[in-house]
This record gives sequence, structure tokens and C-alpha cells, in this order.
Amino acid sequence: MSSLPDNNDSMVQMLLQFAPFSSALEAGFWHQLTQKKLNDYRLDESPKCIKGYYYNGDPVGLPTRLTLEFSAFDVDGPTPARCCPALGTLYNTNTLDAFRATDKKALLEKEAKEIWDAIQSGAALKNPSILCKFILLTFADLKKYHFYYWFCFPALCFPEGLKMIQPPVTLEQVFSQRQISALQESYDGLCLKSGITAVPFFLMKYTEDTVEMALLEDWKKFFTDTKKVTVGVYDPCTLSQHPGWPLRNLLVLLAKGSEMEVVELLCFRDQTLQGNRSIKHSVVFQVKLPELPNNSVCLKSVGWEKNPKGAMGPRMVNLSECMDPKRLAESSVDLNLKLMRWRLVPSLDLDKVVSTKCLLLGAGTLGCNVARTLMGWGVRHITFVDNANISYSNPVRQPLYEFEDCLGGGKSKAMAAVDRLNKIFPGVNAEGYNMSIPMPGHPVNFSQATLSQAQKDVEQLEKLISEHDVVFLLMDTRESRWLPTVIAASKRKVRKEKEKINSEYPCEPGKLASITVFSVDDYFPSICKGVSTRDRTLDQQCTVSRPGLAMIAGALAVELMVSILQHSEGGYAVASSSDDRMNEPPTSLGLVPHQIRGFLSRFDNVLPASLAFDKCTACSPVVLDHYEREGFSFLSQVFNSSHSFLEDLTGLTLLHQETQAAEVNHSP
Amino acid sequence: MTVQPEQADVLTRSLPLEMNCRALDEERFCRCCRLILRRSDQLRDGWSWEALQGSEGYLKKTTLRPLPAGWGPEQDGGESPGAEPAALQPDPLVSTGSEEEDADLRLPSNSSSPVLQWEYHVLYSCSYATPVLYFRAFTLDGRSLTLEEIWKSIHPNFGLRLQNCPLNAVSQQEHPLLGQPFFFLHPCRTEEFMGPVLQAALDHGRYAHPGFWVHEGPMRFYLETWT
Repeated sequence: MSSLPDNNDSMVQMLLQFAPFSSALEAGFWHQLTQKKLNDYRLDESPKCIKGYYYNGDPVGLPTRLTLEFSAFDVDGPTPARCCPALGTLYNTNTLDAFRATDKKALLEKEAKEIWDAIQSGAALKNPSILCKFILLTFADLKKYHFYYWFCFPALCFPEGLKMIQPPVTLEQVFSQRQISALQESYDGLCLKSGITAVPFFLMKYTEDTVEMALLEDWKKFFTDTKKVTVGVYDPCTLSQHPGWPLRNLLVLLAKGSEMEVVELLCFRDQTLQGNRSIKHSVVFQVKLPELPNNSVCLKSVGWEKNPKGAMGPRMVNLSECMDPKRLAESSVDLNLKLMRWRLVPSLDLDKVVSTKCLLLGAGTLGCNVARTLMGWGVRHITFVDNANISYSNPVRQPLYEFEDCLGGGKSKAMAAVDRLNKIFPGVNAEGYNMSIPMPGHPVNFSQATLSQAQKDVEQLEKLISEHDVVFLLMDTRESRWLPTVIAASKRKVRKEKEKINSEYPCEPGKLASITVFSVDDYFPSICKGVSTRDRTLDQQCTVSRPGLAMIAGALAVELMVSILQHSEGGYAVASSSDDRMNEPPTSLGLVPHQIRGFLSRFDNVLPASLAFDKCTACSPVVLDHYEREGFSFLSQVFNSSHSFLEDLTGLTLLHQETQAAEVNHSP
Repeated sequence: MTVQPEQADVLTRSLPLEMNCRALDEERFCRCCRLILRRSDQLRDGWSWEALQGSEGYLKKTTLRPLPAGWGPEQDGGESPGAEPAALQPDPLVSTGSEEEDADLRLPSNSSSPVLQWEYHVLYSCSYATPVLYFRAFTLDGRSLTLEEIWKSIHPNFGLRLQNCPLNAVSQQEHPLLGQPFFFLHPCRTEEFMGPVLQAALDHGRYAHPGFWVHEGPMRFYLETWT
């Protein structure tokens, strides 16, 4: 084997390589840039002064950073303690095209020229911070909250590179403990004298037990002979073999301003770990200073930051999640629910709830309260169907409407409800349908027009029901609940009926029919029990019931839906009843009743359960069978016939007669 | 730290008298902050005071931590994996110029492992009369992490311990002074969590110095516990 590779290796090692800055932006910087752009800069593209800082106390392994925080725009503001400020120029363009078309080479050369001139004139000695400047080119797309940016840390280049005359050593390898302490004291003294907490560049002389320091500007006073010169640089790099970027321009300054051939450089690093301060890991380099061409032509310059792909291109950060108010609202809503889950029910399947599509038939007192509770659960997909307009009595009880909505005849409830949901939470996916639902015993055959309208309404409703997972029946007439009940039962949708917390009407467990799906305390056995005038008076009572009732009922309906969704059998879950209250609950949220019957006068609820009623006028097999076979022709027959049509069909009429006969026979 | 609320109550009640005066008024909060800052300056642990208009302000600290291996949410802003916008393409003028020739002098920059920046603010809550910790974590390009990403960045062993306890009280909220979204530890549970921690410290004889509890002690402890 030849010794060539080794030679090459040592050649590479003796070449001085610098660790470039990595740009580090705090979240607050982008917030502040957004404010500046909106309030101050607006369309002004002229360069702006900004300020970053770097730090020499990082533990090993962290990238060498130039950090910009929200205070970057306040150039005269304080710099964090023991950090060195770096001044920069911000070019914020108005368009992405301008960002792209900006002549980056020219920007860099302009900045490099300023550094070069300051070195030539000696101004850099007085104000060495000019050696550590940066450029930031940005474009803020405030519609998408996308921020394009590109940093440049200008560095002047020696045409031939830089060579070390011996490998780098740490301070503790060449300095005694006493010298290290003296160095630290001397540096602190220099800071104190300069009135800052970090001096970026300094001159140094030392003996076996003393260390003296001075600022760059005191060069001539400090070094009487230039045989042995040590220059210190506050070094943000943590690598043991390499200096950070700030040293680059300092070396140009040293090469230009003196006739030294070799300079000793102290890359000063100052770390405090658990209260113990140490500078002994600082690195000492012996560097051969190349001769610079003896003219005043600016050196070549470099410094554009590579992007994460390692290419000479800009970067983009998408901050819509933390800056777009709508996204923020969404994430906050979701987070709140997650917290509730963590705290209360770790096994809760939230996705199932949030992704459930809910159809609300009726956007009145119950519809409004159900919608609000659904929003609280993070449900995104909510559809309203209603054919009424908002009237003056509505807003106080219907929390999605306001006085203004009643003016001029009133807005359509379904549409106004959608608008309000979007105002409350823009992340919602709400739709409204201003339409009527055909009802049994309410003829639709007055004309061809009314008939085809009814057919259209039926088709629309069928489509809506099949597109949703849960149907809430929140209308104020029971007849209007017949059609959606039939359709939903046929499609096996979970259905929540308008509930009644009624202190007057007793329950009749023997005759109750819990339909194939769920009913949250129907008024009474709902459609299953036929239609009577007595029923209708109770229906009307809902809108004139105690105002808290609709909120209680709406909330219970939604909570019940959520419980059902957590059950492994979903809509087919076996009904829980009041008797199950002491038993192991079937879901993480507890019981899954099919009905909740409340008594507001006693502030009490009971959970009745019963079998499906085979003579139900809506969901009994005979009705579903007719509907599925004959479709609209069957439905229109129901609409156009008297109430007794369905009761005859299901055998309810016969049952009534038998019951009456039994009662008659029984009576004394 | 898996202290049940009931236990916490018992502990709180059994704490020495001085500690039950843990409720801070704003003046005492500021005094504690000044003491902590003075101490922090000696320890060089990075706390600073961010003053806003008037007397308002907060304690602030930013730290960097390497990310655990295998954790990589869009370190490269890689949300648009497919079609990279033309604006992000390398710039031919720059990449063919002297920058390439500089390769000998420049270390490859992404040799270090990815890191997260953590920002902690301690504010005073008038309503709860306690210090409140606001925090956020962001990548080097300034993108804040979601709470879920933060969870992922925590070592699993540690995460398990936390799950039952303090992060339960984490919510997202606008920073009351900056108006930017932050996470915060809800102050209503500060006492519940800090009670046992302080008690444990007492039991282990830490901070036995009598002046500790009167001065910045509890505040300092709050910081050490949460940051």
C-alpha cells in the first residue's frame, strides 16, 4: 500500500474548514413579520434592518445557529445575555415572482463590498460587528401562510483557501488551569468594560499566569510587536476541529491589516452546565495567513444557505396550522375534545363521533340546540332541513338566530342556521335545505305540479337520508316524522326522534314500540300509536313548554347519539333500561338507552325499553315492505288517504277494536 | 409522578404553614422573578425577563433539544412531497457561482441531528394567583408543533409517566400578552401538581435552607419541574 491516502488525509485535515450558520427562526419571528407586513411595510419592498444573535455556549451536537426571534425587528432592543448580536438586511418581496427573480448574487456582492470597504478603511476594527452580517430574503404568502425565505451569511474568500500549520487543540491542552481562569476573568473584565455581555472579537496576550485582553480597535496600543499575535473570536461552533462562520471575515481583516504570516486564534466557547461554567473546550488554531492581492478589488464572496435538501435554493415553511385563524379554531376544538378524552374517557373513539354525518330535520328550538351540542362534540358534517322562516318569537329560544334574522318576513331557518354555524366555527361543513316533508293525511294530489313537487321532495329526502349516518327528527308535527322514519328504517339509519320530557303523559310500557332503531323518548309511542287529536295538543305543547326543556332534550339526544356510536353494535345495540343503572355499562360512556323519558317537574329521567311494535305505522315490516316494493306510488297513497289507511294496513285498527271490545267486556 | 387528586389533597393539607401561602400576589410574583433572574444569571441557565409596555412582562427561556431518533415531521418542510414549487428550486446563478467552489472551506451544514427549539414563558395569572407556564416547541424554520407532535417528541418512557398527570392540564390558548397560540398548563391544577412535588422535595431535604420557602423557592421549583 502506498502512503498516498494518508498524505491526502493530512492535507485535508490541515485545511481550515468553517461550520456555516444554520438559520434558526423562532415561531414568534413569523408572527412579527406578518404584523410588520400588514401594518408597516405593506407594499414597501425596500431593505429593512433586522437583528439576530448567536451563542457560544451550546452543548456538543447542536447546529451552529443564527437565531431570529420576534424581537428581530427591534434593532435597538436588547440582545439575550451572553449572546452576540448580528445585524441583517431584510428584503421582503411582495410576490413570489419577485422573490424568485431577485438577483441573489448581486445582493451578496453588495453586502460583501460593504464588509470589504469597512475592512479597507479600518472601520471594521472600530465596529467589528460588521464582519458578522446577514441577508434575509423573504416572501410572505399571507393567504396560505406560506413563508419563503433564504438566508445569506456573507463571507469573503481567500483565493487559495486557508491552511493550519498544526492541528487544532483545545484550550486545556495548551493552557494551565491557572491560565484558563485568568483568561475567563480577563474576558469577563473586557465585557464589563465594554458594557456588554459578549465581546465578538478580541485581542489577547498571555504569560504563564496572566492573560490580557483588548478590543480590536486597540490593536496598535496592545501589540507592540507582531511576532506572536493571538486573536480571540466568540465562536458559536461546537465542533472540536472546526471554527464557526464569524472567523472567516475576521481572517480577511487580519490578513489585510497586518503583515503577520501566522496568527494564533482562540475560538472562545463558554458553556455552563448545571451551574458549572467551563471554557476549557475552546479551540486554538494556528493559521497561516495568505497574502492578499495588493489592490482594492473586493474578494469573491459566498454565504447563501443551503436548503434542507443540500441544494442552493430557498426554503419554505407552511405555518397555516399555527397562524390561519380557521385552522387554529379547528385544532383548538379538536384538542379540547382530546383533553376531555384523556381526562375522562381514554378509550373514547373520537374519530367516530367527529366523522359522523348528521341530518337535522327541523331547525327550530330542538334543531338549534342539537346543532350546538353536535358542534361541541366536534361533529363537522351537519345538514338542516326546514321549510319555515324565522319569526319574532324564535330567537330567544332558538340559539342560532337573532332579532335581525326575523326582519322582512324572516330568513329561511335552514339557510340562516348554516350561516350561523359557519360564523361560530368555520371548520364546519354545514348545508341547508329549505323544503317541506310530505305527511300522511295531507294530500299532495291537488294538481300535477303539487304531485311532482311531492315526488321531488321525497327523492331529495331519500338522497339526504342515504348520505347521512344519523337522522334527527326534530319537527313539531308527528305526521311529518312518518316519511323520514319509513325511509330511515328502510335504510337502517340511526334515528333520534324529537324527545319529550313530559310530566303529564304517562308512559305505557306494554304498548311501547321501540322501533328497529332508536327513539329518544318519542312523544309517546310516536307513530307507532296512531294519530289522534289528543296527540296533536301535546305536540303543540313542545313549543310552549318550559324553555329549558328543548336544551335538555337537544343535549340528551346528542349525548345519546355519541353513546350509541361508542357501542360495538352501534345502532343495533341492545337497549339499556333504568334497571341497568347498577350494571356494568355497555360502553365507555355508560348506558345506551333507546328512550329517555324525563319529568321536568321532578327533575327526573327514566329509561324505558320495549320491543319493536309489529303494528307500527312507520317501521313495521308491512309498511316497509310496501314502501320498498311500490316506492312513491305507495307513499302518495298514504299522503292522500285519511289517517285510517295506515292503521288499517298495519292492523292497528283491528287491535283498537279488540282492545275496546275487551274493555267493554271487562266493564261491569 | 402518578399522584391521585385525593392524595394530592391530603399532601396539600399536611404541608407546612409557609407553603400554604403559595398563593402569589403579583408583587410577590415579580419579586420572585427578580430573585430567580439573579440566580439564573449566576447559573447561566438562560431565564430572562421580557418586558412589555407598562409593568407587564414574563420570564422567558428558550432551549434546544435534539430530537429522538426516528422522529421526523417535515424537518425539511416536506409537506409538498410531489410538485415542488418552482420558487424552491435551486437558484442557478447562486449554485453555479463561487458557492460551489467554496465547498473546501465549508463544512456540510446538516451534519448535526435535527433539533427542536422549546420556548417557555412564565406569566402571572391574576385569577388563580399562581404562575402559569406557557410553552411551545418549533423546528428551526419556526414552525410550531401540534400537541400530538410534541407528545411524539417525548421519550415513550417519560410520556407514559406524564400521561396520567400534568399534560392532562395542557390546553391551547392565545398567549395573553403576545396574542400568539401557545400551549399552557392550566393554572387550576398548578397547586394540585406542585403540592406533592414540593412535599417530596421537603422530604428529601432539598432546599432545606429556611429562606427558601419565603423567597423564590416555590417559583423556582415550578420552573424546575416543568421546564
